[in-house]
Amino acid sequence: MSAVVRNNVHTAGAGQTAMVFAHGFGCDQNMWRHVSPAFEDKFRVVLFDHVGAGGSDLKAYDPAKYSTLHGYAEDVVEIGNELGLKDAVFVGHSVSAMIGLLASLKARGMFKSLVMVGPSPRYIDDDDYVGGFKEQQIAELLDFLADNHMGWSTAMAPVIMGNADRPDLGAELTNSFCRTDPDIAKEFARVTFNSDNRADLAKVTIPTLILQCSEDVIAPIAVGEYVHKQIPNSELVILKATGHCPNLSAPEEVVSAMRGFV
Amino acid sequence: MSEPDHIEEDLQDLYENAPCGYLSLRPDGHIVKANQTFCRWTGYAPDELIGRRLHDILNIAGRIFYETHFAPLLRMQGFFNEVALDLVKKDGAAFPVLVNATERTNAEGKPQFIRLTVFNASDRRRYERELLKARDELKAFAGTLEQRVAEETVERLRSDTALTSQREEAKLREQFIAVLGHDLRNPLASIIAGTRLIQKSKLDEKAEATIIMMQKSVMRMASLVDNVLDFARGRLGGGLTLVPSSQPLEPALQQVVDELQSTHPESIIKTDFALTKPVHADPVRIGQLFSNLLGNALTHGLAGEPVTVTAKTDDEFELAVCNAGDPISPAALERLFQPFARGEVRPSKQGLGLGLYIASEIAKAHGGTIDVTSTPELTCFTLRMPLLR
Repeated sequence: MSAVVRNNVHTAGAGQTAMVFAHGFGCDQNMWRHVSPAFEDKFRVVLFDHVGAGGSDLKAYDPAKYSTLHGYAEDVVEIGNELGLKDAVFVGHSVSAMIGLLASLKARGMFKSLVMVGPSPRYIDDDDYVGGFKEQQIAELLDFLADNHMGWSTAMAPVIMGNADRPDLGAELTNSFCRTDPDIAKEFARVTFNSDNRADLAKVTIPTLILQCSEDVIAPIAVGEYVHKQIPNSELVILKATGHCPNLSAPEEVVSAMRGFV
Repeated sequence: MSEPDHIEEDLQDLYENAPCGYLSLRPDGHIVKANQTFCRWTGYAPDELIGRRLHDILNIAGRIFYETHFAPLLRMQGFFNEVALDLVKKDGAAFPVLVNATERTNAEGKPQFIRLTVFNASDRRRYERELLKARDELKAFAGTLEQRVAEETVERLRSDTALTSQREEAKLREQFIAVLGHDLRNPLASIIAGTRLIQKSKLDEKAEATIIMMQKSVMRMASLVDNVLDFARGRLGGGLTLVPSSQPLEPALQQVVDELQSTHPESIIKTDFALTKPVHADPVRIGQLFSNLLGNALTHGLAGEPVTVTAKTDDEFELAVCNAGDPISPAALERLFQPFARGEVRPSKQGLGLGLYIASEIAKAHGGTIDVTSTPELTCFTLRMPLLR
């Protein structure tokens, strides 16, 4: 199966340069609905779902492959190769900031710059490093996942999977966005919140824009500053937006910060 | 109707004391209003909640989930339903709730505020966790069950295959033994027939002696072939086969004595047969056993001393063959009935070392035993077996 099908890739826009948008843990490519259209005039916008999320092929979920962020980064490289991407812009939200970073290191030349929205190279505190969470709290998070099936039940699964293109799938389905198989979601959470990519930051040589929200429990300002300090050619922009998803809560601010960079 | 049709509902009271909690948030998550029910459940005074963020009264997992799942969902579809959260009460205790939310937008679609309806879900959560636990246990059980079935199936297939190939091999061996026996015995029978034919013509003394020697050799050869075949059958094939009957045993025993006497004309064989009761046995096999014992006694016995044979049927059938001569060493005694157990003494006089093994197998097949006593004066082999099986 091609990566384009597996990862439910959608492209739009007519620009020469491609701009790849990657969603983070908890949602799917719908996250970019208020941001990506703003770049369709000058860029070839590429949207996709990580395997296990949104309209991706759930059968392609391989626990071994996706036991580290590298499995997800390989998918990004495969998509890039299939689309013939060169000197593209990678925009990654949350954990996908690190996935994009790993992909850029795996396939040099595929991406000419990175935009990281709310990145964190490590969520758990470690000696002097402040990630924002204790190990125990992450364990609680994984338990908590079982309490929210997010509109997922075995009976609903065929309906969901039968509607890969489902923007029209409206309010008749409760919580119709960001559905995930709870087992896969739990694994993705485990991989995400136990990841440690601090050592990879300094390897990045391409220009990098870091968009940091002013109040974000997932990626606090100290983490954004740490990422900025470690990536040599980076620029840190503190957004007025609060929360972890400025692409949804403050799309204009995100778009304007990105325009200044690309 | 004694009750009035319309009761004036107190909407203010409905808001404050509804059977659910109400929370209103700014788009950035700060609480702007909370009803009495919510305050009562969580233990906070209204002014302690106003201005705080919803995050502040969620546990850590809830905060992460709110940010990664529920907030995006709310922005994208304008509502979320049935979200499970744990509120942290003022006293620090967890308060499981189910939350529905809607986003109120202005004419331009800009979010103005978020309305939350909060339901107490302590019992439901407990029940759901029990269900999840049961499901996980069932899954684990199904997993081990599946594995066990798989292992059993593999094992069964393996042993079936092994059994089939064992059966096929056994069948081949039986055929091989049968063909071998036929091919080895036939030429011997021809030689014996030939010597008997020659004996009928007039022969000089030397030729007569040569013919007897030839017959002796052929009989020894025939007995070796029988032993080898019986050994092969016992070890490789289906084991010794008996054709039991209640015919008198004496003729069979006498025939063995006659045959061996004719090939050992210089030896003295004394017999004392007292077979008063019928013995249920295979006469051919008993003859074979006896032939082995008597042959040994004639070969190893002290020359000039008689070999005595006694057979009787008291409580059981007893057949004893005794000879004088050197006793069997204790070491040789131990291995006497093992196949290829050729005595250390005088190996030149031995055959393959199968005779006693076959004899003991025949005894066993009849439910009997062969006992040996060996003193400087006398060595005796005694078969004892039940009259009836």
